Amino acid sequence: MSELLNTLMQDARVWQGHRHRRTTQPSESTGYQVLDNQLGGIGWPRGALSECLLDAPGIGELHLLLPLMQRLTQAGKTVFWLNPPHTPYAPALAREGVDLDQVVMIHTEDAGDLLWTLENCLRSPVTGVVLAWPGKLATREVRRLQLAAEAGSNVCVLFRERRYAEQNSPAALRLELTPGDHRDLKVNVIKRRGSWPGQRCSLAMAHRADLAFREAPRVVQVPWQHTQR
Amino acid sequence: MLWLYLHFPHLLLDHIRRNREDSRPLVIVEGSGQRVIQACPDARDQGVRAGMRLKTAINLVPELGMVRAQPEQEAQILEDQARWLYRYAAHIVLEPPDGLLAEIGSLQKLYGGLPAVWQTVEQALNEHRLTAWIAIGHTPLAARLIARAGKGECTADKGHILRALETMPLVAAEFDGKTCTRLQRLGLNTLGEVFALPATELARRLSPETLARIQKIQGTRSDPQTPWQPPHSFRQQADFIQEIEHTQGLLFPLQRMLSELEDDLCWRQQDTDSLHLILRHRHEEDTRLRIQTSGPEHRAEAFLNLIRLRLEQQPLRAPVVALVLSVKRFLGREAPTGQDLLGESQDLNEAWHTLMSRLQARLGEQSLKRLSPRADHRPERAWSASEVQQKHKTRLAAPEHLPRRPLWLLQGPQPLTEPPAAWFAGPERISGGWWDGQRVHRDYYIAQLQSGQLAWVFRDVREGWFIHGWFG
Repeated sequence: MSELLNTLMQDARVWQGHRHRRTTQPSESTGYQVLDNQLGGIGWPRGALSECLLDAPGIGELHLLLPLMQRLTQAGKTVFWLNPPHTPYAPALAREGVDLDQVVMIHTEDAGDLLWTLENCLRSPVTGVVLAWPGKLATREVRRLQLAAEAGSNVCVLFRERRYAEQNSPAALRLELTPGDHRDLKVNVIKRRGSWPGQRCSLAMAHRADLAFREAPRVVQVPWQHTQR
Repeated sequence: MLWLYLHFPHLLLDHIRRNREDSRPLVIVEGSGQRVIQACPDARDQGVRAGMRLKTAINLVPELGMVRAQPEQEAQILEDQARWLYRYAAHIVLEPPDGLLAEIGSLQKLYGGLPAVWQTVEQALNEHRLTAWIAIGHTPLAARLIARAGKGECTADKGHILRALETMPLVAAEFDGKTCTRLQRLGLNTLGEVFALPATELARRLSPETLARIQKIQGTRSDPQTPWQPPHSFRQQADFIQEIEHTQGLLFPLQRMLSELEDDLCWRQQDTDSLHLILRHRHEEDTRLRIQTSGPEHRAEAFLNLIRLRLEQQPLRAPVVALVLSVKRFLGREAPTGQDLLGESQDLNEAWHTLMSRLQARLGEQSLKRLSPRADHRPERAWSASEVQQKHKTRLAAPEHLPRRPLWLLQGPQPLTEPPAAWFAGPERISGGWWDGQRVHRDYYIAQLQSGQLAWVFRDVREGWFIHGWFG
């Protein structure tokens, strides 16, 4: 019995308010030192669900996962995109060093298929990371996914709307993503295993449009005013 | 030359019985549906005999299962048997409707004697759950006659074979009706008595054809046989007496068929990546299913899983009366390559194919896409999605030379409704497509919207503003 309790403590499944424990759960580095620090030196948990909560695309949410995708595809693991809201643009992914042979995009008809596909992908040893845009999910379904994720040892990131931040969720890591003022991405840790949540950090994401070195806009003449009627 | 003849006394019956889970008495009735032609042992125990009127048979055994004989179906079934026999013997001749002839003289050395050949064939018959009367003869006809009389013995001795033939009644020798009557009028009753007649007299009094037949039985005249060639495809059919209404019921016969496919593929040293499944219905058109795996496969279990998934997705339209499994596409089996010391990479490759096949079976092949860049200036044409099939390696020349593009591309340009908060880069003019009628003439900018999203926007020729991508 005590062994069981020890395991619970070690995996940081029992939340201990008074002290921070370093967990031993397997994980993948996010590739962003700042974020890794905020997450207690770990990163994306493997064999557990992660959630990214955001309002609209285009704030750098894919760049948050890009280092992971690069690393995993080059290691020969497959990256699954489940029901992405837009088309992942192949030339851009190739340019960023993602091996497109390892990228598979899946569209499912209904929620049943989606859960089934997610479960199958998560259980397979070939999977590196599953990115899913599940739409509406009941808490029971998130729980089912969490169990499926635990059966494999893969990273699974669900992209959901920010209004779900209020709801509780069995996911091991929950990040709220909002756009910053300088094309950066503000990350707010809503939940993480083994420690207090509430860490905030800002990741520089200006390089996603090649704007890293020149803060000043490169448009000499702002075109919209000319055309505004 | 030494010939082995397999006579299947009730081939159709065996064929139907081995695809059934239950074991109710079963009979085969002739085309008109009047008489019983073949009866299974259970039915025979209860008094049903071949040649009996169907009404009598039903009175004896009320729960009797009945199947009507169809000549073309029987020919197909016979060929199925030739296919497995071909693994043991090279020279096979089909003897419709219910016999197979195989040349075994040349096999003795390979198998280590005649008894070993005999045993191998008997064992194979058992495995296929078939009843057959086997006989060996020094000529094809001799083997056939002895087999059909059920007097087969494992011997290569010509004298012994001839003695067995000589005691046979004329009816068993399969002369046509007229010849048989004429011989009987001459006072001849057994084949031996006919053999004793001088050849010239026989030809003069009867006909040269009769003499030829007798000489062919005896072996004094040659009787060339054209060997059967196995087709380069796999086909198996299961017929059911009771219509199958649930998917579950199809899995039992499928399991047997797939394990035969696995044997066949192993024997060919080949794999396949697509199966054709035809479900026959009584009143409706056949349901045709194509089961595809994402890579070469030969394991029955893997096929069965895929078919199960597919059938779960697609409920039966109508009850099924027959099931046909065919494979026409064969792929060479690859030697395990690229295996590292621990054999891990090979497993991963296999796991990848298994996963893809599973997903494709449930979601449909179009649901899975692989992305690749294409050489075109127009953003909507600079990528393509292809079906996930073989794991192929496409190498881009220099991905870092591709222009900076957003990670999200919208399905189609969306109108930009509000003025952006900030402009960052642009314009980048993309103009092309005059060669194929899909003209594109746009100025692209990178702009940040009020909501903080970084967008790829463009102005077209008509001064309209659109969002085409997000820098995700």
